Amino acid sequence: MKRAILSCIHGNLEAFDAVLLDLERQGAEAIHCLGDLVGYGPYPNEVVERVRSLAIPTVQGCWDEDIVEGLNACECSYPSLLAERRGRLAHRWTDGVLTADNRAFLAQLPESLALETAAGRLVFVHGSPSSAHEYLLAEMDAFMALERVLGAGADVLFCGHTHIPYARSLDGIQLRTVIAEAPDQRSIPGDAPPVDHTVTVPVRHLINAGSVGEPRHGRPHATYVLFDDESGAVELREVPYAVDKTCAAILERGLPMIFAWRLAKGLDYAERAEDASHVCAR
Amino acid sequence: MWAIASGIEGNLRAYEAVLADVPRRSRGVVTVDRLFVLGDVIGWGARSQPAMNDRLIERLVTPRPGELLPEVCLGLWEERCLSLYALGPEAGAADLVERWGAAAVEGLWRSVSRSAVEWMRSLDLAVVELDCLLAHGSAVGVEDCLTPQTPPWLWLDRLGRVQARRLFCGRSGLAFRYDLVEGRGDDRLRTLEGTRSHPMVLQGLWGVGVGTVGRIPGLATYCCYDPGRDRVTWHQVAYDDGPGS
Repeated sequence: MKRAILSCIHGNLEAFDAVLLDLERQGAEAIHCLGDLVGYGPYPNEVVERVRSLAIPTVQGCWDEDIVEGLNACECSYPSLLAERRGRLAHRWTDGVLTADNRAFLAQLPESLALETAAGRLVFVHGSPSSAHEYLLAEMDAFMALERVLGAGADVLFCGHTHIPYARSLDGIQLRTVIAEAPDQRSIPGDAPPVDHTVTVPVRHLINAGSVGEPRHGRPHATYVLFDDESGAVELREVPYAVDKTCAAILERGLPMIFAWRLAKGLDYAERAEDASHVCAR
Repeated sequence: MWAIASGIEGNLRAYEAVLADVPRRSRGVVTVDRLFVLGDVIGWGARSQPAMNDRLIERLVTPRPGELLPEVCLGLWEERCLSLYALGPEAGAADLVERWGAAAVEGLWRSVSRSAVEWMRSLDLAVVELDCLLAHGSAVGVEDCLTPQTPPWLWLDRLGRVQARRLFCGRSGLAFRYDLVEGRGDDRLRTLEGTRSHPMVLQGLWGVGVGTVGRIPGLATYCCYDPGRDRVTWHQVAYDDGPGS
């Protein structure tokens, strides 16, 4: 079965509709969403209602969580102070327009979803299995990335949050350990011979779905991922859409102009996470 | 050389035994010149008595002439105590009540003065020195319990988070050494801009469980680390644990 995995729609209905059309043309039979339905964009209610009407299995993103729980940003919730200032503006606006019904929908979204397929166990999260706020960047150390996949009990871990899509395979992994334990409480390591052991880990995959509504890969096109759960094939999709319409709507609704500017460029330096390993401790 | 201890848990006699033993570990020009205590200075186990926690903290922060001033990290018991005073990440005593009963809450409350709580507030989660991470649990938190059974990728994550090559921890109370001798694999990354492939390589990382000073009656365990020779040794000190001693 060909599955479409979407993330970070961020109230951008134009982009969302373009992606829905594209995935249909590509023959996707199932859709999964990795959260962040709202925030930054001008159509939070419309996006949530579209997701609900299509009954798309969705996990809760950090924006969905914040809009439900109330903005409680510790200084690590955003990758920079500038990003946090902008985020607060977007939060206030979104909080003011989101209907109670849609807020209730966001509140009941799970932190993760999982399903068994021929390609193995697929796990879907927003940021990482540790936190919706953690960035699993493409540059992240491979062994740390492996820990996130294995920690989730996944063969294939799908994440979003960084807004830049990638498909990463970690293959042929062997780890050799030598462990010296004290044989009992009244002994010390060295009193017994150490144990030499080699662990072999079958191939694991970490796939970032990018962002439908707020791409940051350097072009304004929406991004998402197609995954064939029989062959394991991954396709990173880039979908042009009427970005000008969304930009105009951002300005019409009184959202900060920077949101339109960066949407048109497909990048934002202030949103680049500096610490891939950081976990929000809220 | 560093002396590294953890888990005193309010056991002043055990700590005194370690303090007396540490100078014996110096060898020629290699002297023990730093003392780290990786949390759980206080506790509410069988060895702790009312006021013992306060006395222990007082002993730590005011070493006698010629003794080392310990560099102390936050432990699980300190974090629990801070929570009790609504100063921790999660205010309240639910965890204490569940694990130790309501009496422990009252006992801990009575055994720690406000000035001791202020001292606990000043403790850092971890110390990074040279290429070493020293923490009660890990940089993730005081609850993080690394053991000989912890899978190697989890150890790699805990080391990688602070880009350390050595990790000293005390949460488990166990004395052990976990060598990540070598690791390899293939890391293939595809983005919209293209693909790249990198070999995954690691070599020569390790973690250490430093043991526990105060948890085992009559026997304190700690370790020493010589950064110059990159060598760890564990030491056990027997002490009189009898009543009234």
